Amino acid sequence: MCWRCHELDRRSLLVGGGIATAALSTGVAQARIRPADMKPLIGPGFRPTDTDEIGLWQQMQRVEEEVAGSNLLIKDPALIRYLQDLIGTVGGPAAKDMRIYLAHIPDFNAVMFPSGFAVIFSGLLLRMRNEAQLAGVIAHESGHFLRRHMIRSWRDLKRKSDIFAIGSMALGVAGGATGVYTGDIAQLAQLGTILSLFRYSREMEAEADAMGARLLADNGYPAIEMANTWEQLIGEEDASARHRRKRRDRGGSLFATHPAPGARMADLKVSAAEVTVPGRAYDSRRARYLQAISPIRKMLLDDQVKLNDPGASQYLIETLARDGWNGLLRFYEAEVWRLRNRHGDDLRAAQGYAVAVAYPDAPPEAWRWHGLSLIKAGRQAEGRAALTRYLALQPNAADAPFIRQMVS
Amino acid sequence: MRHLGIALMVALCVPAAGCVQTRQYADVQFTPPQGDYRLLVMRPDVTVNSVTTGGMNEPRADWTEQARTNIIAALAAQQLQRGGKVKILARRNELPGVSEEAVADLERLHSAVGNSIALHKYLGAYLPTKSRRGLDYTLGEEAVALGRKTGYDYALFMFAEDSIVSGGRVALQVLGVAGCFVGFCAPNIGGGGQFAYASLVDLKTGEVVWFNVVQAGSQIAGIKMGDIRTPQGSAQLVERLLGRMKPGYEVRRAMEKR
Repeated sequence: MCWRCHELDRRSLLVGGGIATAALSTGVAQARIRPADMKPLIGPGFRPTDTDEIGLWQQMQRVEEEVAGSNLLIKDPALIRYLQDLIGTVGGPAAKDMRIYLAHIPDFNAVMFPSGFAVIFSGLLLRMRNEAQLAGVIAHESGHFLRRHMIRSWRDLKRKSDIFAIGSMALGVAGGATGVYTGDIAQLAQLGTILSLFRYSREMEAEADAMGARLLADNGYPAIEMANTWEQLIGEEDASARHRRKRRDRGGSLFATHPAPGARMADLKVSAAEVTVPGRAYDSRRARYLQAISPIRKMLLDDQVKLNDPGASQYLIETLARDGWNGLLRFYEAEVWRLRNRHGDDLRAAQGYAVAVAYPDAPPEAWRWHGLSLIKAGRQAEGRAALTRYLALQPNAADAPFIRQMVS
Repeated sequence: MRHLGIALMVALCVPAAGCVQTRQYADVQFTPPQGDYRLLVMRPDVTVNSVTTGGMNEPRADWTEQARTNIIAALAAQQLQRGGKVKILARRNELPGVSEEAVADLERLHSAVGNSIALHKYLGAYLPTKSRRGLDYTLGEEAVALGRKTGYDYALFMFAEDSIVSGGRVALQVLGVAGCFVGFCAPNIGGGGQFAYASLVDLKTGEVVWFNVVQAGSQIAGIKMGDIRTPQGSAQLVERLLGRMKPGYEVRRAMEKR
C-alpha cells in the first residue's frame, strides 16, 4: 500500500505463457472512483475483531517495533511532531490512531501498513512544494487505512487462490475422468487469477486517491495539489529518462500494481474539481511547510544530488525554484553540474557557485567551491578571500586544515 | 529473522512424503554446555499460520500466542534438566543495565550473520576456504559486551514456525488422491509443516558456536509431524532442535583418540 511501488518482475509472471489471449479478455483501463462515494469504513479507535485481521495486526506489531527502532529513521522531534500533526489533521476518523515515521531514504515514496502506521521517505519531503502536497500523500495513505485496503486485498487474494485451487483440481479430475488434457486451460486460469489480483490492487490505489482528495479538501487544502504532485513526478521521470537517452516507463501494464501516473493525474484533476466548494478559501500552507522542513532541507538536497541522476536532480531543483530561488537551491544546482562533469560543466558550475554566494542564505560549502573554482581559473586572490569566508562560516569543517593551508 | 527463516525453508524443502530433518553445524572447538552454565534466550520468534485452501499462509494470533507460551515453557524445562540457569527474554527491555537498542542491535546483527550461515552452510554457496572449519562465524564485541554486562555464558536465538492446514485444503487433498483413480493424480499438494532454527552464541568470545535447523512436515496436506500449539508438540520441537547437540569436529576427534 505504497504511494508508488515498483512493479513486479514481469518475466517471472510470464512463465505460464498465454499472455496475449488473456490480455484480450482483461482490460487495463478502469473508471474513475468518485470522492463522494468514498466513506471511511472504520471509526476512531478501530481494533480488529476477525481472526485473519487479528493475525495480520499481531505480525505488524513486530514490524512496527523494527521500524520504530530502525537507525534509518530521522528523529528530529519537531519535524516528527509536525508530520504527526498532519496525519492527525487529514487522517479522517482514524486521525488520532495512526503513527508516522520518517525514513532517511532519498526516494519518492510513502507506505501505509495494515495496523495504521505510515512510513514517509525523506525524498518525499524534498519534492513537496507545500504542505498541501505532502498532506495529499499522507491523506492517500490514510485512505488505505480508512478503507481497510490491506485486509480487503488479503481476503481477495485468499478467495481467488481458493477458487483457483479448487477449480484446477476439479478441472483436472474431470479431465482425467473424460480423458481430456486440461493443463492449458489451467494455466490460462492461473494467469487470469494473477491479472485480476493486480486489477484489484489498482482499484484500491484509485480509491485511496479519491479518498485522499476528499480528506484534503475537507481540511481546507486545495485538492488540485495532489494532481500537481503527479505532474511533478511525471516531469521528473521524463527529465531523468531524457538525460539517460531513454524513455520513461509510462506504466499502465497489465501487471502494474498502481494505475499509470498519467491516468492518476487526470482522475485527480477531475476529483479535485468535484471536492472543491466554490467560495471556500483553500490554503496550501507553503510557509509553514518550508519552516517545518528547514532543518533538514540541505540534507535532502545533498542526498538527491549524490544519487547520480542529474536529469531528475536538475528538474527537481528547477521545480522547487518555481517558488523562488535562494542560495541553497543555487548551490545545489551548481553541484548537479559539477558532479555531472560533462564538457563545459566545470565552467557552468563555477558560475553557479558565484551566483549562489550572492544570496545571503548561501551554505558555507558554496563559498568553498566558489573559492576553489576561482583558484582553478587563476584568480588566486579572490579565491583565497572566498575560502577565508568559508573557514569563517565553518571553522570546524572536516577539510578546514587543508583549506587553511591553501589560504596561508 | 523472518527473512532468514524463509530462505532456509526454501533450501530445505525436499519433496518427500513426510519427514523430520535436522542439520546442525558447530564450531570445531564446541563442547555442548553442561552443568552450571548461564543461558540467555533472546525473544523466541514464534509464528503459527493457517494454510488456506489456495495454499496461502495466514498468521493466527491466538495460535501464535499459545505456541509461544508452550515453546518457552518447554525450553525452560529442558534447560533446567541440563543444570543450566536460564532467562528467557519476552521483551527487549528486560535486562538490567542493557538498553533496548543494544538488544535490538544484537538481534539485527545476529539476523545478518544468520543469513550468511544460511547462505554458506545450507543454501549451497559453500566457501572452499572454510571447508572442515566447522561453524566459523562471530557476533564480535557486541556479544562479548552483553556477556560482560549480564554475566551470561551463552545467548540462544530461536525461530519457530508451524503451518496448520485448513479443512478446505485437506478436502482438496482428498480430492487429489481420489483423482488418482481416474488418471489425474495430485497426491501431494503440500502446504503445512514446521520449520525452526536455533543459534547458540558464546558470550565469552562472541562466536556463533552451534547452529541447527529443523524441518518437519509432509507433502500430503493434513499429515502432521508435530504441532507446536500443544505443550507436547512444543516439547517435541524443542527436543528436536536442542536435544542432541553434537560437539565440534576437533572435540569429537580428541574424544575418539582417547
